[in-house]
Order: sequence, then C-alpha cells, then structure tokens
Amino acid sequence: MTEMSQSEAPLLQVDHLAVTFHTPRGTFRLVRDVSLEIHRGEVLALVGETGSGKTITAFTIMGYLPGLIRSLPGTTEIDGSILFDGKDLVQMTSSELNDLRGNRIAMVYQNPATSLTPTMRIGKQMEEILTKHLQLDTQQAQQRTTELFESVRLPDPENVGRRYPHELSGGMQQRVMIAMALACEPDLLVMDEPTTSLDVTMEATMLDLVLDLKERTNTAILFVSHNLGAVARVADRVAVMYAGQTIEEAPVRELFKDPKHPYTAGLLQSAPQAPSHTGAVTKLRSIPGGIYTPQETTAEACLFAPRCPMAQDACRTGAPTMLDAGDGRLSRCFFWNDMRPEVWGDLEPLEEETPDSSEEVLSAKGLQRFYGKWKRKYLLFGPQVNPPVRAVTDVNFRVQSGRTLGIVGESGSGKTTAARTVVGLIPRDEGELRLRGEELAPKIEGRTDEQSVGMRMVFQNPTSSLNPRLPIRHTILRTLRKFTTLNRKERHDRAEELSRAVRLDPAYLDRRPDELSGGELQRVSLAASFAGNADLIVADEAVSSLDVSVQADVLNLLAQHQRDTSTSFLFISHDLGVVRYVSDDILVIYAGNVAESGPTEKVLNAPSHPYTEALLSAAPAPDPDAPQTRIRLPGTVPTMHERFEGCFFAARCPRKIGPICDETSPPARPGPDSPEHVIHCHIPVDELTTMQQTPSLETR
Amino acid sequence: MTIVGSIFSATGQKVRDALSFILLTNSGRVALPLVLVFAVLTLTGPWLGDWLPHAPTYMPSPMADYQFLPPSSQFWLGTDQFGRDVFSRVLTGATSLVITASAGAGLGIALGTVVGIGSGYKGGWIDEVVMRIMDMLMSFPTLLLALLVLFTLGPSRINIALTIGFVSMPTIGRVVRSTTLSLKTLEFVESARLRRESTFHIMFREILPNVMPVIGVEASVRLSYAILSVASLGYLGLGIQPPSPDWGLAISTGRQFLVSAPWIVVGPMVAVSLLVIALNLLADGIRESARRARE
Repeated sequence: MTEMSQSEAPLLQVDHLAVTFHTPRGTFRLVRDVSLEIHRGEVLALVGETGSGKTITAFTIMGYLPGLIRSLPGTTEIDGSILFDGKDLVQMTSSELNDLRGNRIAMVYQNPATSLTPTMRIGKQMEEILTKHLQLDTQQAQQRTTELFESVRLPDPENVGRRYPHELSGGMQQRVMIAMALACEPDLLVMDEPTTSLDVTMEATMLDLVLDLKERTNTAILFVSHNLGAVARVADRVAVMYAGQTIEEAPVRELFKDPKHPYTAGLLQSAPQAPSHTGAVTKLRSIPGGIYTPQETTAEACLFAPRCPMAQDACRTGAPTMLDAGDGRLSRCFFWNDMRPEVWGDLEPLEEETPDSSEEVLSAKGLQRFYGKWKRKYLLFGPQVNPPVRAVTDVNFRVQSGRTLGIVGESGSGKTTAARTVVGLIPRDEGELRLRGEELAPKIEGRTDEQSVGMRMVFQNPTSSLNPRLPIRHTILRTLRKFTTLNRKERHDRAEELSRAVRLDPAYLDRRPDELSGGELQRVSLAASFAGNADLIVADEAVSSLDVSVQADVLNLLAQHQRDTSTSFLFISHDLGVVRYVSDDILVIYAGNVAESGPTEKVLNAPSHPYTEALLSAAPAPDPDAPQTRIRLPGTVPTMHERFEGCFFAARCPRKIGPICDETSPPARPGPDSPEHVIHCHIPVDELTTMQQTPSLETR
Repeated sequence: MTIVGSIFSATGQKVRDALSFILLTNSGRVALPLVLVFAVLTLTGPWLGDWLPHAPTYMPSPMADYQFLPPSSQFWLGTDQFGRDVFSRVLTGATSLVITASAGAGLGIALGTVVGIGSGYKGGWIDEVVMRIMDMLMSFPTLLLALLVLFTLGPSRINIALTIGFVSMPTIGRVVRSTTLSLKTLEFVESARLRRESTFHIMFREILPNVMPVIGVEASVRLSYAILSVASLGYLGLGIQPPSPDWGLAISTGRQFLVSAPWIVVGPMVAVSLLVIALNLLADGIRESARRARE
C-alpha cells in the first residue's frame, strides 16, 4: 500500500454486511457482520475455514447472490452496505449491477474447468467479451486477445487461442480465466480460491502472476482463500473470518507475526511449517470444538468464546465489535491487548522417538503399472499404435515398522496408482511386493485374510469413502466382523471404544455420513482403519480436503496411534509441509519413477534432486518473510509412453546438463551423509550441493 | 422390544417426512389422494360387493328387465348387457387388476434390480452379454411379447404377472445398471473390497441401498405401465377371464354396445385412465421432492 492510496477513499468499502438465507430447512446466517475496505492497487486477503462465510461475502460483493434476492424478496436478506466507488451495490438494480460486472468488477472462480465454455475455442470466448463489452471490431479484438494472453504469461499467446479448454492444463485454464477477468481493465478483481484446484508447482506460478498483476496494474484484488501459505505470499492486508464475522484485520506481516485474536493465533499454529523451514518441528495445535454453525442465531456474546482459551465472563455476556488494536489493526476481541502467542499453551516440540528398527513391514521392488495396450492401426494389420501409458514405471521402497514413509509428487506423478497397487485395488503389472516377507498377490481378491488385515487404507474423499445410505458404524463393525474374532456384543463395544479413540462421540455412530462434517467423517475412516490392528495403513491424500485446524487434529491422531501401536504408515500427499510433519522417510516420485528417497531431513535439504528442489521452492510458506526461492516448473507432468529413453524429468528440468539427460536414464547416486539417501540424477551429488547452496539462482 | 419399537417409530418418522415432502409438490398433492382412494378400493374390493346395494356379479332375473338401463338414481352408472350394476363393477374391478399389475411390476423390479446390479458391478464380458440380451428383449414390442407368452402358457393371473415382470425387467435393469456403474467406482465400494467382503455383500448391502431412490421413482412408473398392460391384455381377451369385473375385460365386452349403451365402457375407461395418470403424477412428485430434499 503506498502513501498515496491510503489518503484516497477506499475503492470498496463493506460495512456491517450480513447475509441471511431463509429456506424451508431453516434460517442460515451465512454472513453475520463483515466490514472491510480495499484500496486501489492493494491485495486484501479474506481468510477463513469452511463455513466461515468468505465465499458468500465475495459473491455478495459481485451481486451474484442467488437470483433470489430480487425475484423472491424475503428469502435472502442483505443488511449493511457495500460501497463501490461511493455507490451502494446492495441498493442497485440488476441492470446497474450488470453494467458494473465485467467492466469494473470482475471475478475469477475456484474451478476454471466449469467456468469456461467447453465447446468454444478460448480465443473466441475472449473475443466475445471484448466485442460485447468494449465494442472492439474483430481485428482489434484478436490483437487485444493476444496481448491479454501474453499478460497472464500463457505460453505461445498467438496460437493458444485456437485451443479448446480441455486441451489446457488446470493452471493454464485459470490463466485464461484471469485474462478474461482483466479484459475490461476492472478496478476490482475478486478471486475466489483461485489456487485451490491447482498443484503446488502451478499454484506457485499463479501466485507469481498475482504479484505481477499487483505491480503492473492499479487493480484492487480481493483474494479469498483458506490457504495461509498462499495468503502470506501475495497479500498486503489480511482479514480473517470466523462464523460469518471478520474477527481480525491487519497488514500481512503483523498478522502472521503477532496475531491479535486468539482464533488467528490458533489457525496459524495448526498449519504445518514450510518444508524449507529449518528449525525444530513443533507439534501442530488443533482448535477444540466445532465451528459456530450458520443455523444458530447470533448470540449476544463473542461467537468464538466457547472454543477460546482466554474467554472470560465478559466474552459470554457481551458481543465485541471490531476494536482498534493500534497500527491500523482491528480485532474483534475484548482482550486483544492480552494476546500472546502462548494463549494456546507453549509450543511443544514434536515427539520424535522414531524406532530405529530394521524390521521391515513392506517392501516394493520394481513396481510397475501401465495403462492401455498396444494396438494395430488397422485392427490386425499396420503399424503398432496406442502405446501403454506409464503410470508407475519403477518404484522401489521399504517401510519399516513404526515408521512413516511419505510419498510426494504432483498430480499425475503416479503416487496414487502406486498406493493402489500396494493395497491391491489395481493389480500391478510387474514387480514384487512383500508384506512382512510374504509375497503379495497383485489383486486384493488373491490375497489371504491375514495379508488383508495387515494393510488398511484411508481414502482422500471423506464423503464418498463411507456408504452414504448406511449409519457410519457399519464400516467399523464390518471391519471388526471380518478381521477379528469378537462376538456381536464385543464388536459394538469395540466400535464405541474406537470412536472415542478418534475423539468422536459414540452417539454419532448411528448417524448417516451426510450429518457429519468432513473432519468427523475422516476420523470415522481412521477408526475403521484402526479396527483391524493393521501393520500398515496407507493414507492417500487423507487430509488434503480438510481445513487446517481439522487437518492438524487428524495428523495428531495418526501420530498418537503410531506411538501407541507402532503401526507403519504410507502417507501420500502433494503437500510437502504435511509430509515433512508426519514422515520419517520420504519418497519423491515423478512420472512413475523415484526421483529421490531417504530420511526426511536428508531429502528436504541440499543436495536434492532438481525435482525435489523445485517442489520445495514452490511450496508456499505461512510466513510472509520466508525467503522466496524462484525455481518454477512450467507445464504439468507429461504423459509418458512405453518407449521412452533418457531421464524421466529431462523435459522440465531446470538444471538439465545436456544430451545425456535425453539419452540415458539417470544413475542412482547415494547422498553424502546417509546410505539410505538416494538421488536419481546425472549431476554428481557434490555438484548438486554446490549449485543448491549458491543463492544466485534462487533468490531474487 | 424397544429396538423393534424404535425401528418402527424411526421408519414411521421417515415415511411421514417423505409424505410431507411429496405433498409439498403440486403433482404430489393431486396424485397422492387419488392413489390412496384406489389403494383402498383394491384392498376392500373382495368384500365391497356384500356392502354395496347391488352385488357386482349378481345377475337379476328376469334379466331382460334390467339389461342396458341408462344411469339412474337406482343404478348410478346404468347396467350392462347382463343387467349387472356398472357402478359396483367399476368399484370392485380395481382388485384383480391392481394386484396382478403390482405383482408383475414387483417381479420386474426385483429381476431388473438383480440383473442391473449384477451386470453393472461385474462388468466386462458378463455385462456385455447380459446387456445385449436385454437389448434384444427391449427391441420386441412389449404387448406382442406378452401375447406370445400368454398364448403358449394360457391366460391366468399368475402367468400375466410373470409375463409383465419379464417384459419390464430390461428397462429397470438398464436404469439400475447405469446407477451401479457410477457407484462402483466410489471409495466406499473400494473400501468394502479391501475388507474382503463377498461380491454378494458388496452388491446387495453396499450398492443396493444407494440404488433404492432410483428404484422408488421407477417403481411407480413401472406400476402404471403394468396396469395399462393388464388392462390391454384383458381387452384383448388374454387377460383376466369373465365373470371378473376387470376393467379391461369390461371395456372389451362393452365395446359392442358402445353406440346403444356407452355407459358400460365409460366407467371402466375413466377408472383406468385416472389410476394411470395418478401414478405418473406421483412418480413426478417423488422425483421432484427427492430433488428438493437434496438441496
């Protein structure tokens, strides 16, 4: 924020905004009290967890709230005002709003795939906007389209317009969306979770683009996100939302360093540190209790009080307003002045008593899985076409008892396929899998009962991993029935015990999945996976869909279970921060090949494989002062076919050394400190160390 | 016993919820009372005759005095060619028709569900073979197929129900199969596979409950088709045999007197149409309320 813009009137001023939906199922107070302002050329981040009302706030600003507003008065109530350039958007008619939208206010949505017309070339879609809103003629529109595509750094801006949306990667689609939003040079750009559906590497380039826009244009940006790392990287100021209220507003640096509201502090302490963070790993904090639901009426009290460690009588009898906390900061807490980072208790170091056992639970050698089959061009004759796609090409690893192996990689790198071949949902084509020394059949149906008990899986999507039509106890009881010798009564008792172990009220066991939140459902899945006393639990992106405070809770549960039973975990995630927090060993895979493997600290520090290095550089740190390394990978993981030579990473490698990378597959080189640390790269380890310790390339 | 009690009160609550949701839709408001009236007629049919002023099968003597009487205060819908009261025949005619049709539709749904879930879940060449057989059955005109079966087996209520069940199986099979296909890739099915549940358990304990809503809507549509089929077969003389007061049969025999005594066919015609329309509206109502409940 420059001095000049501060003196100006804010471009957008939201004042005591409240949005209430009246439906046959009850009244939902989605937004209770939101006040914020954005100046020109400034990025304001709106942060909050699921159900905090941040997206509804963004949509209300856009005037997109359910056509209901005007066609069915009384079903949606909007109180307060939204002043845009001095005019109140709430009072405007639809046609006045339509004139503003697109021209002066534009929005970028969370899911670019559904926001673009699938049957139209993207260039045409762009030109349509330009001819409609700016009355350009066809030639001008074409020229402007190229300029806009160039400004969002789309590769080959002249020709990319001839492509259809499905021919672009998610990141490129999102760029097209941003280019469209920028078409009319809006004063205000609203971005709703713009990076949530993207991979880490793509997210990083997207955040660079937002920063770039901020520097080049004078557009005000409202950046709605739940991702603290992304916010720390792009925002000037941050507004935190809880239960439909803004509860704290502050410049980004101050907010992350010295939060003045206990909720913000709790949120910050529940996010894992950046993978590049070098200090001691501290235990993640989770905020006890559940969120204040939109169905509840706004109490005459602090809405966070039931979960707050410093709540006092005053908090339960009076509702705080946004209080001035000095230095242009606001906090909805009576006791902001007493706020210390320790309100949630001292940060304890993570108990790292990893058993250094050599007892091997699972080993995989040369795991391979291809999709598709060779075909002849003309049924039985002609050249061979349609080569099989390499999903998993050559993956080797060992999991030792009581330890956690983290598998990381971008989407399309083969990590999920690898996990599924391990549990036997997808049969492997080649390779050897041994559980406690016993060879496993490729398919689950071919394995013995003991082998199946030994290995359980937790899936990514909590809502579809439990049967939606059956009470949640079903999954737990069936697992007990299949894998234990308990009788009916004992099974019910054990199910209640398990649910208490994952901190879930046993009364919930009779409910259907749609009555529970995502975090609660994931805890049920965990309880079910603990039921059989497995040796190994495979967790496939098990926390990716959860909010940070809930994620912290689930991660701590996993750690607790591991300490109590010395179960091993195979933990798959694209989030390096989370993987660093839970794993003892890490396997980095790319295009179905192992890029690097070894103990966590060795893998995450130099020397690293260039791919690991790029992933580390892309991972956003929840700290605005974190050093920003600038290695960016263009594009996405390529689809590789059977006939392939050279290094799997050569096509995107920022440290490619020459033709050798395209011709021969890289050797496995042992790392300097530990024989278990292996890097698959043509560059000798010493050189990698030197390269990665020289800051010239990395920092700006 | 408290467990049984709680199950009953729980399902009672669910049924009440479902009904109130259906009554919130326009088609539901019209259809539900009509369907209930027909349901009552069906269930009371066999005893209704004793209670009505004129028994439905009673042939008065001398017959000539009572033949072809137009509607009057004594015979509300007139009398037919044998001097029987048309009104009481229409009221009691629901029983045989609806029971035969329900049995047929029920059988069709059961067969279709088994075939659909099995074929969809198994996939591969089994699915291919089963679905091509279903295609073959579907490409045959329904009534023609039914006539063929009834000619060979001979007309009886059980044969009619069997035939209707058989010919409505492919349609339900297809609907259930497509739902199964989208369900079987979901993680709860995979998690059941990882628990090493039997194929039978996965198909009928895990997948079936999720197919039920689809079957519910399909059931009321199938029932209305089955009623039409039973009435048509009756009309063609291959269905329920005289002296049953079956509506299709009544229309068929009354047809020859259409010009001189139209009241003989009007009653049964209106009754069949109303029932079929009501069932279709109810299906709409269920679909609509299911959609609203999801939101």
